[in-house]
Amino acid sequence: MTLPVATALPENTGDGYVAAAYIVFFVILLIYVAIMALRLSHVQRDLRDLRARTQESTRDGTRQDAAGQPRAYDDQTREREPV
Amino acid sequence: MNGRTLRTLSIATVAAMGVSLSLVFFYAPIELEEGLLQKIFYLHVPLAIVSLGGFVLGGIMAIAHLRTREARWDLRSYVTIHMSLIFGVAVLLTGSIWARGSWGHWWVWSEPTLVSFLIVMLLYATYQPLRFAIEDPERQARYASVFAIVAGAFVPLNFLAVRLATAYLHPRVLGGASGLPPSMELTFLVSLAATALLFATLCCYELTAKRTRMLLRARSRILGFQ
Repeated sequence: MTLPVATALPENTGDGYVAAAYIVFFVILLIYVAIMALRLSHVQRDLRDLRARTQESTRDGTRQDAAGQPRAYDDQTREREPV
Repeated sequence: MNGRTLRTLSIATVAAMGVSLSLVFFYAPIELEEGLLQKIFYLHVPLAIVSLGGFVLGGIMAIAHLRTREARWDLRSYVTIHMSLIFGVAVLLTGSIWARGSWGHWWVWSEPTLVSFLIVMLLYATYQPLRFAIEDPERQARYASVFAIVAGAFVPLNFLAVRLATAYLHPRVLGGASGLPPSMELTFLVSLAATALLFATLCCYELTAKRTRMLLRARSRILGFQ
């Protein structure tokens, strides 16, 4: 047995609810995309800041860590960063 | 993931969503009893399936993290659960709108399907507070993985328990005695594929954004700026 299909539009169509459900979904999606865009702008700002500071420190000499040794960078270092 | 792959995935998602919406509103027939209200089914059910599937996937990725101790699996598990929570909110809202139109109530506490989904959502709502309450990144990842596995195992058990419940109002269209006509079934499958693709694309974006931020933080630290 399958769901019955209407041959004409039923009286109570509930089109307002359908519109509301799809609008709610797209609003949630839009909010998420807006948050992502905001985060991206923060990343871009941090990147600009980092680039400026790197250029500044290159002019002043090589940067070193607290122990006076240049720090090694590898994938493991990056992966250990907190989420 | 590189920019080209993300762009391709995004285009495929937009196209799939477009095809899905076109099928829902211009191809799928109108159901006799519910009328247009039944169109919510093509949005609500795929969202619910993808959301619950995402929770289980998050648990599987957490197992991979505990087995390999590789941080990338923890990150993937976190992003999958995070995205499933967002989809879960959409499931609750679209479901409530449908319930209001069909039953005349926004929420029915005696309905096991609704309450069980709410329990799953509330369970996962504690995932992020638990995670970010732990400062040490390795302990955070380990505890979050254990949570994701236990909660991920709860999801199919919960689903099964609800399926076995005898008293329910919530319609059982999939896998029940009553089925969908072929045109509705095709529309549903396309909607499900589009929703899954949307989920995957958003997860990829979130993963890429997080990796970029982590890389930036790590480089800042290495250069001695933090």
